[in-house]
Amino acid sequence: MQLKRLFFLTIFLTLSALAISQTARVVGLRDNTPAVFAFTGAQIVTEPGRVLENATLVIRDGIIIDIGTGVSIPADAAIIDLYGKIIYPGFIDMYAVWGQNDTVLASLTGTAYWNPQVRSDFSMASAMKPSEKDAASLRSQGFVAAHLVPAHGIFRGAGAVAMLGDGDPTRLIVKPQTAQVINFMPPRGPSRGYPTSVMGAMALMRQTLYDAQWYKQAHASYTARPQGQQRPEVNKSLDVLSKALDTRTPFIVEATNEHYFIKTQEIAQEFDLNLWIRGSGYEYRRLDAIAATKVPVILPLNFPAPPAVDAPEDAMNLSLEVMRHWYLAPQNPARLAGAGVSMAFTTDGLRDKSDFLKNLQKAVKNGLDEQVALAALTTNPAQMLGIQSKYGTLAKGKSASFVITAKNIFEEQSAVEQVWIDGKQYEVKPQREEPRGNWTVTTPGQLFNVQFSIRGESPRFTAEVKLGEKSVRAQTVRFDNQRLILAFLGDSLGLTGHIRLSANLAGDELLGVAETAAGSIYSWTGHRNEAPREERRQTETPKTVLNLEDRFPSMEYGLTGIPDQPRHVLIQNATIWTQGLHGRIDNGDLLISQGKVVRVGHDLVAPSGSIIIDATGKHITPGLIDPHMHSSIGGGVNETGDAITSETRISDVFNADEIWTYRLLAGGMTAGTLFHGSANPIGGQNTIIKMRWGSLPSQMIIEDAKPGLKFALGENVKRSPNRYPNTRLGTEQIIKDAFLAALEHEKQWKNYNPRSGLIPPRRDLQLESILEVIKGERLAHVHVYRADEMLMMMRLAEEFGFRVASFEHAIEGYKVADELREHGAVPIVWTDWSSFKVEAADGIHHNAALLNRAGVTTTLHSDNTQLSTRMNWEAGKTLAQGVSEEDALNFITLNPAKVLGIDHRVGSIEPGKDADFVIWSGHPLSGFTHAEQTWIDGRKYFDRETDRQLRDQLQHERAILIQRILEEPAESRQQAAPTRGRRPMEDDQ
Amino acid sequence: MKLKQYIFALLSVLFLPLSGNTHTPAPSQQQPIALVGGTVHTLSGEAITGGTVLMVGGKIEAVGLNLDLPAGTEVIDTRGKHVYPTLILGRTTLGLTEIGAVPVTSDLNETGNINPSIRAEAAFHPESNHIPVAAVNGIGVAITGPTGGIISGLTAAMLTDGWTWEQMTLKAPTGLSINWPNMADASARDQAMKELNDAFDSARRYMLARKAAQSKQAIDIRWEAMIPVLEGNLPVMINAAELRQIQAAIAWAEKQQVKMILVGGRDAAYVADQLKAKDIPVMISPVIGAPSRQWEAYDQSYSLPLKLHQAGVKYSIAGEGSAAGASRLAKHAAAAVAFGLPQEEALKAITIYAAEILGIDDQVGTIEAGKDASIMITTGNPLELSTQIEQVFIQGRTIDMTDKHRQLYEKYLEKHRQAGE
Repeated sequence: MQLKRLFFLTIFLTLSALAISQTARVVGLRDNTPAVFAFTGAQIVTEPGRVLENATLVIRDGIIIDIGTGVSIPADAAIIDLYGKIIYPGFIDMYAVWGQNDTVLASLTGTAYWNPQVRSDFSMASAMKPSEKDAASLRSQGFVAAHLVPAHGIFRGAGAVAMLGDGDPTRLIVKPQTAQVINFMPPRGPSRGYPTSVMGAMALMRQTLYDAQWYKQAHASYTARPQGQQRPEVNKSLDVLSKALDTRTPFIVEATNEHYFIKTQEIAQEFDLNLWIRGSGYEYRRLDAIAATKVPVILPLNFPAPPAVDAPEDAMNLSLEVMRHWYLAPQNPARLAGAGVSMAFTTDGLRDKSDFLKNLQKAVKNGLDEQVALAALTTNPAQMLGIQSKYGTLAKGKSASFVITAKNIFEEQSAVEQVWIDGKQYEVKPQREEPRGNWTVTTPGQLFNVQFSIRGESPRFTAEVKLGEKSVRAQTVRFDNQRLILAFLGDSLGLTGHIRLSANLAGDELLGVAETAAGSIYSWTGHRNEAPREERRQTETPKTVLNLEDRFPSMEYGLTGIPDQPRHVLIQNATIWTQGLHGRIDNGDLLISQGKVVRVGHDLVAPSGSIIIDATGKHITPGLIDPHMHSSIGGGVNETGDAITSETRISDVFNADEIWTYRLLAGGMTAGTLFHGSANPIGGQNTIIKMRWGSLPSQMIIEDAKPGLKFALGENVKRSPNRYPNTRLGTEQIIKDAFLAALEHEKQWKNYNPRSGLIPPRRDLQLESILEVIKGERLAHVHVYRADEMLMMMRLAEEFGFRVASFEHAIEGYKVADELREHGAVPIVWTDWSSFKVEAADGIHHNAALLNRAGVTTTLHSDNTQLSTRMNWEAGKTLAQGVSEEDALNFITLNPAKVLGIDHRVGSIEPGKDADFVIWSGHPLSGFTHAEQTWIDGRKYFDRETDRQLRDQLQHERAILIQRILEEPAESRQQAAPTRGRRPMEDDQ
Repeated sequence: MKLKQYIFALLSVLFLPLSGNTHTPAPSQQQPIALVGGTVHTLSGEAITGGTVLMVGGKIEAVGLNLDLPAGTEVIDTRGKHVYPTLILGRTTLGLTEIGAVPVTSDLNETGNINPSIRAEAAFHPESNHIPVAAVNGIGVAITGPTGGIISGLTAAMLTDGWTWEQMTLKAPTGLSINWPNMADASARDQAMKELNDAFDSARRYMLARKAAQSKQAIDIRWEAMIPVLEGNLPVMINAAELRQIQAAIAWAEKQQVKMILVGGRDAAYVADQLKAKDIPVMISPVIGAPSRQWEAYDQSYSLPLKLHQAGVKYSIAGEGSAAGASRLAKHAAAAVAFGLPQEEALKAITIYAAEILGIDDQVGTIEAGKDASIMITTGNPLELSTQIEQVFIQGRTIDMTDKHRQLYEKYLEKHRQAGE
């Protein structure tokens, strides 16, 4: 009892010496035990690229006091012999999302930003709640410090650097304020407010940063001149942010894929942010673009487990994209390093943090330079965090925080043995004694001098008991708390009955007692003849190295490069539907040069070096244009968090690296509009793209298209019971109210004189885009079904002096055909969708026909990605309602180009326009026709023949990847394929 | 007349979906009708150019060149036109649902997972707006049925014109509809399979009890309905798309010794040989659809009919499930043609092949003497998008070619005219 108390006291004192607040009052006796250690004989890696052989490291009170060879060891030092071991500087985890006291966040109210997702005033340092479990798991991977970052919200607050020792936060924190952390992933859960989508989060980020800039100006102005000015709000969130912007505090943004990465940098530039990005592991897929951003990357080593392929059906449900990523993800760090990207590593993103070293070693095996890897774990994070004077390398005067391993830590199977943090030892891998091995048993009087051969791993062991030539398997083998219990039936060995033994393990000795069948008890000893071997799998046989070509996107049908743009292409003998002045040209030729249409006509002469295509029997039309789709939109098609979300931009979250882009090309689709959904009276800003498969999103956007804004009327916008509007009547009012506010906003800016020194108006991203609509600089695209609502919207627009560009869906467009024509709005309709809801009940197959007949510029649309792959058939259906062939084709080419403001470039085949066209197997409006080739900018993006080759290539890649996955140990492979064998289509009716 | 028409149209708009449609069913055929001079696509043999189809008393009396017509025959000149059998919509919810987003207009999902006794024809709503749309688009027969649970209920072959569901029932039941459980989630799958197997075991024991001499077995309305299935007189129409579902369904049907029709069949091409060997027909639905796997070819769905055709599997093209999408039946067949299926095959896939699979080929599916006079006059191949269907006859009745679409079209064309064009 007495002894036990003393034991605890000792521990307490040891801790108190290092980890209790320095300002705290000492309770009881002071601990002044010398804290001096000398580590001798080790190989010391002091920093990436610098190695000291057979060197000595001396530390005192948590600080390195000497390091090198021929170092004199102080008399009071405890000497630790590390002959054959390696010492590395301790690792720093650059992005640790744990150790936060969540109740602190909940208490952050008062003078905070209006949106609870903005908590820039939150600070990890003031809410730190160290978790020994997390710290221990990081230490086991060689980490001594972590950059702890806040876990909740979009603007999450400031991170802090802390050591991974135990004890009081006051002594663990190295740096209390590091970087502002931002995350675009909207919060999940039933009571979601604004934002609900990634594009909403991005818009909120931009608005908040503008608000922070304004906040500073407003307070400066008010401080200088309070009289006569309205008092600006006091807001600690904005205060922190404006100071962070001023001091160029780093902002860390988590980018969950490579395209968000690129987009994040674009937004950061708008505010001149000092940006770091917490990467995703997908960066290798767009390596050049990522490297060009020059943004330092905080990289997770989250390599996926081998996917399930045991059953053919499992493998069938896997995409090539998933399989490729499984194989290529471990190459990501090496590829980034090769491209010159500055990196720091994090354990974040790992389900099990103790996989970190394993994955690090895998990354090295996949080409990552060891010194680069070490820098990403030590010097890089230390420099980024501004703690390099004390951390990240091993040198005199620096923190005694380091890692000890038995062999090169970057080699497979290498593990951390000890971690020292601020001069305190943490045994990572206690050298647990195990009873494995061959033992010779000695009993008094040679009663049963047997041999034991014990195999297995804790807690499961087996033992063979041998006597001379005979042997028997032990019935019981247990090992617990350094105590072995073993029983065997001795009869087959020439002994009698059950013999039971127990013993304590002490190194290579067993000391115990045994009881024979006769009931006699003897003492016995065992001696281990052979050192215990780690019973791991034999060194793995080398696995097949695959040579997977880079593909853009990195998936099935991905291209190995952007298709060529030949200097001249002459296509001969086709039926050419120009949709321009020349109408339809039978047996005609089309000449294109460097991406543009040069001439259409008969018997054109090919310039020298032309590629000549014989299209006898084929038809050529302009590339099809779908003015309304929702594919390739990441993180939510709708921002449902508010009734008016005109600040959101589809371009922020557009990512066409998905199979539908290719399928659209296969259907002759070359351009389209990506729309925000229809949940809001005023939704988001749309993006108009060309289907340049494999290109970056920014390279697919048609820059000179007219910008647009999505509005919505009718059933969808009044579905949220607790949100205005709940009626069509209210819908009109809330839109009108927004228009009035936008005009008021304009007036404020007009009246503001920057030289007055007065508080400037705020930038308001929401009202700015609405104002652009009113001023005719941005097109109003209005989702609507019913005729009465189209009338309402046209009259409202007329009241504010602008024209509605289009009515999307316009199920009842035919009922107000003349009104539409007079106003100049374009109905964008389906051929045969109706009756899926009440406001769609009056959809008629003749809608487009009647509108067209009434002289209204009319277009078809899909609103559905599969439908979008076959718009020629959709247009063909209108022929049965009496529409002419030329008009029907205009519905999907020239007319959508007009309404989108891109008809100066596309929509018809005319000299000077982009060479975007389709070669069809037959009449383009026949149901029996398919696209044979699809060209954009004079580049052939789709071709039936190439498609067949791509199919063969993908089958080959799938096959070799499956074989390669099967080389992985069965227990490491996933058990069942994810149910997601396909990407969801985005519908929004 | 015009005013009346407007009032009708107005009412139909105002009282949707509760009011009736404006399409008036045709009286039964009074006098012989002969379609003379057009190209007759019998689908039972070569097309007859300049042929005649003679319809008497709702049946096809004769087909051929220069037929002798009975006195009093109404002669319709079809020169320059084409004559085809009406189409068969193999898989639909026509007449059982009106507006998807309004649950009260839908009679598709009965309580519970096991509903073998509910029968489609009894709730087939003759006033549904979607029925005339199907009819004027050439669909003479629609196989409709409930879609809920595991055993959904009994399907029926319904005519698309008539005053009452009794008049409109061509054959009922045509099959017992089963939704094959999703095989991805093991526990849900096991639970669903147990329910399905329990139902068949119970029905089988019930059947034995009923057939026993001097049976005292009380009627069980559910199991009673399954006796024709267990006796092999009524097929199970198993809705399955994914490969593991299809494989499991084939094995199950074999074990249960029931006659199976595979409906949907998205992945059927992967086991085409087995389907052929077991003589299991496939009612493909839809053809116009997306590949289900990222790596599959963009035309995976379009080319399914061709693959089954080449493998020698008995198949039909069944369109798509939604009532409002009934008019797209021929478009699905056309899509198969665009990706290689011969036109004649595609036509048969929405007529006679469907009839054969459903056991109504003695009545419909081709233009042959003795069959129902369910015929249409068109401007061309009904698969082609530009083709117009000028007149549909259902059992010899000259049907009203006005549906809601045309009615609203004409009404608002009048608005446009009044606006002063």
